[in-house]
Amino acid sequence: MKLSVNQDGRFLRLVFSGCDAIDHVNAAAVKAEALSLLGEASDVAVDLSEIEFIDSAGIGVLVALFKNARLRGGRARFCGLRPGVRSVLEIIRLDQIFEIYDDVQAAVRA
Amino acid sequence: MSVGRKGEPVLPDLAELCRIHEIGIDLIERSHDVDELLDRVLEEYEKRLSELPADALDARQATTRPESQQKLRALVMFATQATALREKAVAASELKRRAAMLEEANARLTAALGEAERARARLDGVLAALSAGVMIRGSDGAFLRANAAARGLVGEDDDPALTRLIASGVPRDGEAEIDLPSRGGRRTLLVARRAMAKDPGSEVILVTDVTQRNHAVEERVRLEKLAEVLKTLSVLSHKINNPLTALLGRAQMLQVKKGTDPGVAKAASVIEESSLRIADLIRELAQVVKEGRQEALDDLLDMNGTAETASDGSRS
Repeated sequence: MKLSVNQDGRFLRLVFSGCDAIDHVNAAAVKAEALSLLGEASDVAVDLSEIEFIDSAGIGVLVALFKNARLRGGRARFCGLRPGVRSVLEIIRLDQIFEIYDDVQAAVRA
Repeated sequence: MSVGRKGEPVLPDLAELCRIHEIGIDLIERSHDVDELLDRVLEEYEKRLSELPADALDARQATTRPESQQKLRALVMFATQATALREKAVAASELKRRAAMLEEANARLTAALGEAERARARLDGVLAALSAGVMIRGSDGAFLRANAAARGLVGEDDDPALTRLIASGVPRDGEAEIDLPSRGGRRTLLVARRAMAKDPGSEVILVTDVTQRNHAVEERVRLEKLAEVLKTLSVLSHKINNPLTALLGRAQMLQVKKGTDPGVAKAASVIEESSLRIADLIRELAQVVKEGRQEALDDLLDMNGTAETASDGSRS
């Protein structure tokens, strides 16, 4: 899994690539690297367009990113969700908690 | 633990029910604060997700273990409870925000009303101190306010007579003098109408009693005219006096000159007598000019008129 960040307005955009899943296999490493890359950033747009599969550990990573942004007085927005990822969030009602947008442009402009 | 036909648990075990109950109570207690509630919900999500087996959310797995299904159901139950509470908390937060806004608006309104009341009291104080009559008339024509001076000048502040007078004789944003009957004769009021800047339909009416002022102006004009007349008389007296002196001297000379024809001497005597009368008149005029009073001039004119009439009568 490769993670990269780039600034887009006041949002720091976090992109996952090189692997289509966030699961118990890579969740801990992904979480640590993502938090490290985000550093002190408070407003984050998490681009999940490359992620096909996510399990409970992967969801835990997203919750951690969401909490991290709140702790810093900002907000995390998730965008580019594939149907499999979206349905998982819907099952456990996190779609009611997270801020979800269709794509990065919508997320950073909202 | 309850077990279904296929050996799957249909309800969470007692420990899980107790846990859900405790969390529910905790969430309800925190639901008055959306942020606090969300923090608690996220915390619980993290805890439950970490307890959830990896395959519990894996749609690709044909079958999942009963234990996973149970934990997933518990998570969904919690999530359902949490999202419902969050929605209520958001609504409650919005209500609270609006209530605070209403309270703030109410406080501002109360302060503004207090300020308006103080301004009104100050206005009443100023109006009471003014010697001019001041009335405020609303856009519907009703008199809203009148100070003591105004009531003294025009009667009650809703006096229909005044309303009629103003409507007929004083233009809007103009002024005019209005004569009103009074015990001592007539009185003249100067009435000025001025539209109020912030409410053009309403107006301020200023009323001043100018009766005395008008009398003073008339008196000043009369005195100026009298001064002109007296000045003219003074000049004329001076101009008449010089030839009169010559005339009198010649008449007296003719009378004392030897060999003067008796008829001429008599005529000279008449001329002397008339000249002396004119000289007396000029002295009286000089005295009137010196006094500078209308009455003295009137007396002189009366006296000479009477004398002239008498003289005319004696000639006829």
